[in-house]
Amino acid sequence: MTALAGRDTPRRDSVEKVTGRARYAFDASLPGMLHAKVLRSPHAHARVLRVDAARARALPGVHAVLTGDDLHNVEPGHGTFVKDQPVVALDTVRYVGDVVAAVAATDEQTAFAALDLITVDYEVLPSVASVAEALQPDAPELFPVAPLGVVPGYGEGASASLRPARNVSYEFRYRTGSEDVWASCEHIFEDTFVFSRMYHMHLEPFVCVATADEDQIEVWTSNQSPFPLRKELARLLRFPENHIRVHVGLIGGGFGSKNGCKTEPIAILLARASGRPVRYCLSLEECFLTLSQHEAVITVRSGVHADGTLVARKSEVLLNAGAYSDASPLVTEKAGYRMPGPYRWEHIDSVCQAVMTNTVPAGPFRGFGGTQATWASERQIDLIAERLGLDPLELRLQNLKRLGEPFVPGESGIDSDLGLGLQLVADEIGYRGRERRPGRGIGIAVGMKDGGGVNKPAQARVKISTSGDVYLHCGLTEMGQGSHSALAQVVGQTLGVEPARVKYVPVDTDSAPFDQGTNASSGIAVMGQAVARAAEDVRRKVLEFAAEWLGQPVAGLRLVGWSVLGADGELHRLPPMIMSHFGGTGMEFQGDGFHKAESTHAAPLEAPCVFWEVGWAAAEVAVDEETGRISLLQLIVSGDAGTAINALGCRGQDEGGAVMGIGQALFEELRYEGVHLLNGEALDYRVPLAEDLPPVFRSITQEQGHGPGPFGAKGMGEGGFLPVAPAIAAAVADAVGAQLTQLPLTPERVLEAIDSRPRAEQSSAPSAPHATALP
Amino acid sequence: MKDSVDLDAVQIRFSLNGEWQQLSVPTNQLLLGLLREGFGLTSVRASCDRGVCGVCTVLVDDEPVAACSTFAFDVDGSRVETVEGQTTPGSLSPVQRAFVECGGMQCGFCTPGMVMLTTGLLRHTPDPGPELARRWISSSICRCTGYQMILESVRRAGELLRDGESRA
Repeated sequence: MTALAGRDTPRRDSVEKVTGRARYAFDASLPGMLHAKVLRSPHAHARVLRVDAARARALPGVHAVLTGDDLHNVEPGHGTFVKDQPVVALDTVRYVGDVVAAVAATDEQTAFAALDLITVDYEVLPSVASVAEALQPDAPELFPVAPLGVVPGYGEGASASLRPARNVSYEFRYRTGSEDVWASCEHIFEDTFVFSRMYHMHLEPFVCVATADEDQIEVWTSNQSPFPLRKELARLLRFPENHIRVHVGLIGGGFGSKNGCKTEPIAILLARASGRPVRYCLSLEECFLTLSQHEAVITVRSGVHADGTLVARKSEVLLNAGAYSDASPLVTEKAGYRMPGPYRWEHIDSVCQAVMTNTVPAGPFRGFGGTQATWASERQIDLIAERLGLDPLELRLQNLKRLGEPFVPGESGIDSDLGLGLQLVADEIGYRGRERRPGRGIGIAVGMKDGGGVNKPAQARVKISTSGDVYLHCGLTEMGQGSHSALAQVVGQTLGVEPARVKYVPVDTDSAPFDQGTNASSGIAVMGQAVARAAEDVRRKVLEFAAEWLGQPVAGLRLVGWSVLGADGELHRLPPMIMSHFGGTGMEFQGDGFHKAESTHAAPLEAPCVFWEVGWAAAEVAVDEETGRISLLQLIVSGDAGTAINALGCRGQDEGGAVMGIGQALFEELRYEGVHLLNGEALDYRVPLAEDLPPVFRSITQEQGHGPGPFGAKGMGEGGFLPVAPAIAAAVADAVGAQLTQLPLTPERVLEAIDSRPRAEQSSAPSAPHATALP
Repeated sequence: MKDSVDLDAVQIRFSLNGEWQQLSVPTNQLLLGLLREGFGLTSVRASCDRGVCGVCTVLVDDEPVAACSTFAFDVDGSRVETVEGQTTPGSLSPVQRAFVECGGMQCGFCTPGMVMLTTGLLRHTPDPGPELARRWISSSICRCTGYQMILESVRRAGELLRDGESRA
């Protein structure tokens, strides 16, 4: 096929971003705007006996104060499936940083001063700091009374429940195949893995500006899912959805965090109470106290034949969901569902629980449970290879699902050649012929997740003015991933016009078609299909109009630029045709597009996965056995774009994900001492910098061509993150024979793993694979 | 200024994007607030407020500084530049062009700071080489790109600037 127009050109928002003209919610400002600040709990778990805000209310410059007592006609909680998070504490605080009161004042300094004047009487309650503590039979309970919660419908083999155990808000289970196959396994291995908890560290904080009165709420916010936000605000505030208008401009990064209610309810309620617009912008320290990734403890039991054939896998994933559910039920579902990895099993039995603790709430994070699952699954494959004396690459190639083979019964087929991708990164790094040198090693890994969201409807509208200027209306937000640029290219390509002529209309819930949110790498593969159909729809309407006007059969006509090429080979300009027919100020043609995967109960999640997002990685490390320090020497990552709509964009997604993976592998971690977060600010929380890139860092965008999106495209953005930590851990094992099971791979943990190597292995020279079996 | 009697405010004079400005600023005013609220230069955004992330990087006498951690009175007598001053109507600076061409941005929140950091680097060392470039870019955080395409933008910007000079 011919290359797509704009495939190799820079993204369309480049110029506004390099000139500083780009506008984010951070930049929103309204006349008379107040500034909000909140008072946060110093206790991890306490009963709020009394909040006295009288002195704060009396402070000059303070226009509104919000405490639990001021929440009239407001639902007690918000969240995705479990509505357990109050706007401000009602009677209990559940983590250090929980919001107790909010103030709107003429400036931030006055708001801070007002917070100092609020006194709160607490009765401190016993708290739980970890998953292990929370699951004790006599553990303090975060929610003795069940909050409102729902369980969505599941298909074949899948189920879920609310509050199956103490401090567990949600449990997902998936089973397939007969458990009798365990008896046929020559080896059964059980291992436990620990996945650490990162902070998203989007550079634009959580921020919004809101106006509100009795009749109308309007909010300009840094939120990646404007329609789900509108729906939840309507329920929470008992307000009609069509009286709530959400505007989303450019978003300064999200990585999953900017979903659901974050700053919006407080800003809206303060705006309503004060009669003034309110800006509520969190400091970075407060962002650390708002949402994190899920820490996880994952136990995997796998049964295999002596020749390395994988047979059965039983897994238990315990996610630390923090103090409120947020989107944890969905992450729970995905982490549980993704535990089989990209491999063929006869029997799968997976359970995942969201465990509530008195720590920062956890929520969506790039990879969405898939990162946790990939860490455990890929690490165990390496452990199995070692115990059976097999090569980790060959063991994977032997068991990877083939192209087109369903992930599990009732699911869609895998739409990438998994082995091809793995061979590619292995060859690129020189895995097979590698020279064995002391302290040096190479590891490979593959990560896969179901992409595109579950059962997600996508809608788009394309309009063309008389003069041929194109508008694209859809609810997908732009947070750096480049979707606005790519979708404009899809429209341009379909209509035969330059992508630059397509305007992506700023997202506003009053005018954009409904959308379930910008998530799950769904932009191109799901929304892209609706956008392509909308463009085809409007093209059809234009050509039908031209056919009638020209008196030619529509089948012979083609749209080129903003002209119609007739079967006679003549080019007919559309504007004169349109003006002649419609008169006045002419006409705007409009087309609509819709896409949704067909629902079927045979699919475990009630609709088959739209596409499979895959990341392959190969890493080379040097390990200093004296200090335990890992030096990353090479990192090769690859994703499959299906067809790249924008080549620079695809590359950027994979590289950005990979470097986040370096952070996850080597140092990034929210460190807790009990219930107290120790490093919740930029000075103490280390993220990757340019100096952390390995000397050799390459990303390879494959275009295998099997994607369901426009022109064969698949989603990108999360895949590149998944395999990096396990590939680096595998490289460490290859280098020094130390198998690490806990992230991040700090020098201490490396030394500990070196020390706990089986006695015979304690030479620095790498030997044949380490063949030991669990007792 | 020395003859000021107001202990809470101070007179300063500085060049902002090529134009001299004279005004009184509170002694606790940060450069970030002065540029953003005082002069409406909204490319200067806050993120960490700790001088760590580099989002608010501007040039003061050609040196990159974190505007969030610099007092306004500190720029008295200096030349201050923000990304708004890098563009002439219809034309991007070579550094800006390089970032566009090489895809050195995603969400764009760090981009004005990265452009100013790169501008400062290339004035300091016109041909920095990969190691020096990496060290300088390591003073700012980009959570989206993975840095490689930013480093390529820096290299390309150097080429464009040196080409421009050799033609001049």
